[in-house]
Amino acid sequence: MRPGFSPRERGRGGGRGGFGGRGGMRGGRGGGFRSPDGGFRGRGGGGGRGAPRGRGGRGGRGGGFGGGKKVLIEPHRHEGVFICRGKEDALVTKNLVVGDSVYGEKRINVEEGDVKTEYRAWNPFRSKLAAAILGGVDQIHIKPGAKVMYLGAASGTTVSHVSDIVGQEGLVYAVEFSHRSGRDLLNVAKKRTNIIPIIEDARHPHKYRMLVGMVDVIFADVAQPDQTRIVALNAHNFLKNGGHFVISIKANCIDSTAAPEAVFASEVKKMGVENMKPQEQLTLEPYERDHAVVVGIYRPPPKQKK
Amino acid sequence: MIRINKYSTEMFLMSSFRKALKSKQKNHHERSQPGARKHMGLLEKKKDYKLRADDYHKKQNTLSALRKKAMEKNPDEFYFNMINSKLQDGVHTINKPKEEDEVTEEQKNMMRTQDIKYVEMKRVAEAKKIERLKGELHLLDADSKQKNKHTFFVDSKKEVQTFNLATHLNTAPELIDRVYNRPTLHTLESEHIMGAVQPGALKKMARQRKHQYKILAQRIDREKKMFVISQKIQTRKDLQDKNKKVKVKKETANAAAIYKFKPKRKR
Repeated sequence: MRPGFSPRERGRGGGRGGFGGRGGMRGGRGGGFRSPDGGFRGRGGGGGRGAPRGRGGRGGRGGGFGGGKKVLIEPHRHEGVFICRGKEDALVTKNLVVGDSVYGEKRINVEEGDVKTEYRAWNPFRSKLAAAILGGVDQIHIKPGAKVMYLGAASGTTVSHVSDIVGQEGLVYAVEFSHRSGRDLLNVAKKRTNIIPIIEDARHPHKYRMLVGMVDVIFADVAQPDQTRIVALNAHNFLKNGGHFVISIKANCIDSTAAPEAVFASEVKKMGVENMKPQEQLTLEPYERDHAVVVGIYRPPPKQKK
Repeated sequence: MIRINKYSTEMFLMSSFRKALKSKQKNHHERSQPGARKHMGLLEKKKDYKLRADDYHKKQNTLSALRKKAMEKNPDEFYFNMINSKLQDGVHTINKPKEEDEVTEEQKNMMRTQDIKYVEMKRVAEAKKIERLKGELHLLDADSKQKNKHTFFVDSKKEVQTFNLATHLNTAPELIDRVYNRPTLHTLESEHIMGAVQPGALKKMARQRKHQYKILAQRIDREKKMFVISQKIQTRKDLQDKNKKVKVKKETANAAAIYKFKPKRKR
């Protein structure tokens, strides 16, 4: 209401100045039912112009999500991930860079006492990791403080959420081969200091071995026929013993003629050869078709014999 | 010098006097139906009668003219209407010589192109809105969605037999079906829900959410329909092509007809 109020106020003031004598008469009439000294007018004008600016801080496109008590934030099984239920029905992460949307996703502001927190919606239709989380995966091993290697980072949309999860103490090495999407990735990394962008082919880990330390978990979404080999190469170089891997498999990219289940099975078999022990596998319906996520452990510690 | 004739003066006075009198004179109207004759209906006035009579006479005149024409008709005479008209399903129709089309093929083609462009524009706008809605509506507990498949790999047969999902996931057994979020026992103890938790607010939010999902479903449906429309217009446009073609599949409510065109070299 306020923004509509203020221009009208200003418009009338302008009219008075322009018409001179006639304006004066009108002013007199206005004064009759307002305030003879015009004091109210000045105050009203100031208020009208000031109020929208005050709101503008929260307003804009993201502001519509509604602050205050219009949403319910529920902590998720996986630390750093939340479920937001209000008018919207969304998987969200706590925004590391408050006030910034990475790819036009919606932001949600929640006030709890004095603490204001901003969350970003994480679209499972675009992110395999988000789809796996909503599909009920047991472990993603990506948690606050973790060091993550992300193969196939693309434009950095999912990477930004991973960076939200690991927080300031964690680290994300985002590897992407394509320069075009690498450019977007760099822009994401500019604002998020816990992302280290690497524009290199993930098939040649020796090219970026100086940049990367040991990591706790490798996430791979490379969609290449030899993706298991690629992950294994990186695991041999950077993944700690007993570290974990999360691989998203698109059946069509491995073998478009075979049945998806057969493709997933063959990939799981390949992992076994590379000392990667799969622990669970999850298909990504209804968000993706013929996709699966395999989570496992690399060089598991030997079993204790009793 | 003015001489005033007695007679003319009288006349002059008379006419003005008459006019003056007219203002006082009562206007006579045709009477309406007297109460005693009310049962006979509305009393016709002169002007009503005039309309009726004129119409009647016009019809009579036409009839007599036609009769006269029929009587004087020469059965051997030729009229062009004999060959230019015929009875079609009992209706007398005149087959006119084919005039030029108001819309040329080229113009039709152009109009169809514009139609397709407009429908496409609307469809893309709809698709964008769907995308935005999908960004915040993640089908958390939709019933109709396809079920995914979750496989756990364990080391021995014995573990398979003793496998318990709740203990494996370290969560409460009643949360097993709540696939989108099965908090661990630790999370349940240490974390708490934030935001609106009053029952009234929850109910309101659920209602709003349902409405949003409904809107999303409608938009998806609309987008599909617009896609079909643009395909159908495109097919009609393609059919303007003079190339040889064979219909492979008939048009249906939600798919355009499929034609197979004979390949022709374009120069």
